[in-house]
Amino acid sequence: MIGGTAAFRFLSQPSPRALQIYLPIAALSMNLFFLVGIGAAVGFLSGLFGVGGGFLLTPLLIFSGVPASVAVSSVTGQVAAASTSGALSYWRRGTIDLHLATYLILSSIIGVFFGVATFSALRAAGQLDLVISVAYLIVLGSIGTIMMNEAVRALLKRRAGIVVREKLPSQHTWIHGLPMRIRFKKSKLYISVLPVLAIGLVIGFLGSLLGIGGGFIVVPALVYLLRVPGNIVVGTTLLQMLAMMSATIILQSVQSQSVDIMLAFCLMVGGTIGAQFGASAGQYLRGDQLRFLLAALVLAVAIRFGVSLVLPPADAFSMAVIGAGGIV
Amino acid sequence: MRGLAIAVAFALTLGAGAAKAEDLVSTVSNPNIAITSNFDGETLSLFGNVEPDSNQVAAKGPYDVIIVITGPSVDRVARLKTNNFGLWMNTEQVEFNPFPTYFHVLSSNPLLKITDEQILEANRILPDAQARVSAVPQSLHVERFGAELIRLMSAKGLFGQNEVGVKFLSPTAYVAQLTLPGDITNGLFITQTYLFKDGKLLAKRGDSFAVNKTGFERFLFTSAQEYPLLYGLTCVLLAIGTGWLGGVIFRR
Repeated sequence: MIGGTAAFRFLSQPSPRALQIYLPIAALSMNLFFLVGIGAAVGFLSGLFGVGGGFLLTPLLIFSGVPASVAVSSVTGQVAAASTSGALSYWRRGTIDLHLATYLILSSIIGVFFGVATFSALRAAGQLDLVISVAYLIVLGSIGTIMMNEAVRALLKRRAGIVVREKLPSQHTWIHGLPMRIRFKKSKLYISVLPVLAIGLVIGFLGSLLGIGGGFIVVPALVYLLRVPGNIVVGTTLLQMLAMMSATIILQSVQSQSVDIMLAFCLMVGGTIGAQFGASAGQYLRGDQLRFLLAALVLAVAIRFGVSLVLPPADAFSMAVIGAGGIV
Repeated sequence: MRGLAIAVAFALTLGAGAAKAEDLVSTVSNPNIAITSNFDGETLSLFGNVEPDSNQVAAKGPYDVIIVITGPSVDRVARLKTNNFGLWMNTEQVEFNPFPTYFHVLSSNPLLKITDEQILEANRILPDAQARVSAVPQSLHVERFGAELIRLMSAKGLFGQNEVGVKFLSPTAYVAQLTLPGDITNGLFITQTYLFKDGKLLAKRGDSFAVNKTGFERFLFTSAQEYPLLYGLTCVLLAIGTGWLGGVIFRR
């Protein structure tokens, strides 16, 4: 993983012959093909697994030398673009619960306010990189473990010849006993609005702080906790993600001026193209195999962050510009 | 009365000294440097000539020249990571404000052969002096953090020292080459040229050149700083536009 990072840095370094592009906010020159390339690679994986890909793209940019603050803010642009194409196709199919999406969007935007404020405060204190690494380790580590556990079980059962019915248990949990119930017609649900708002709030906070769309958290939360039907959940989450990421872009632009539009655009173009190929490749893999691969990927990123936290840094000293124009 | 006499005598000797010493003319090859999108460093020349004093027919050397190039200043912080409960995190920091974004010293000989430390210190010719005067708070760690900050800046090519950077073409004419790295801050760069003979400072001259980010990148950078809301909205529209176009083209 460490050797991989070195090779990665080499690829991302300016070389005189390759086409260099100057990123005005990150204040560094990077190879255009490298940027579009990682956008496409992550877009391919996001199309394959049906996730936004922010949780891969942000770490890849950080590991290739982009300041963490710029990486987090600019990846939101890519996630917004990716969720637009996704939401659009679900909109055409009519599988978006607008009512449910509205509650999620409003609460997630409140979460975004807290996330962006925390982001700025941490950056001023010099602890942003640390918190991003620890948060990635915890979020990806726990989600990855749950996913891996579930995927391995499914794979073993299939090997043993047990027919796995992908049907959820229908019993009610304490969540369904909460007050302030609302009827969501499209999802055929009559549930409390409180867990919906809580999910939005948490994902808004985490998404804006870590540069992730959070689809891999919201989708399971809506399916397992609230019993939102499978055909509705993806489109609704994509719409919520689009609104949340748009709010994050605007707030980050105003608050920390760390959105690099040039970087974001390169990633968007690569991501949009890559996602198309990923989506068609996904049809040749089984669901449990896909989930196993995704879990392995999520765990690998978590481990990489864990290693970077524990190993002594190459240079114990670092510098940063503070105040106006201070990005690095 | 006596004090006044001393002052007058001092002024007279000073005046006499000024009339006697050699002077310096100097200039910069390119007073305006434009950074475009494919900017990967630019070389410029600093050159000048020693003018003889009023009593001399021709200036007599050997002379030494030190050129100090200072870029615009920003507030900077140096941080130290330490291991706490197994995790490496930033725990100590020293602020330096204002601290130059660029500082290079070019000279015709090793600095301590040209003159003594007092004169170098008084004119803030050495990089350490930059860290010493700008550090807040003036704590015990200033020396160490200042040295580390200068090391980090030097690694990026933003700080540096070249003791053979100034070349004499004739006994009185000199030229120096300066290569600016790609990631310098735009603004006014001051070049201060010092003329020495036998360890004594004979003359000082200041010139300047401007570094400007031009073109599209500069436009994006200023927009992000000055119209952040509009910049953010543009990013959102760009994202939605790209995503929509992708969805329309590929129709999945």
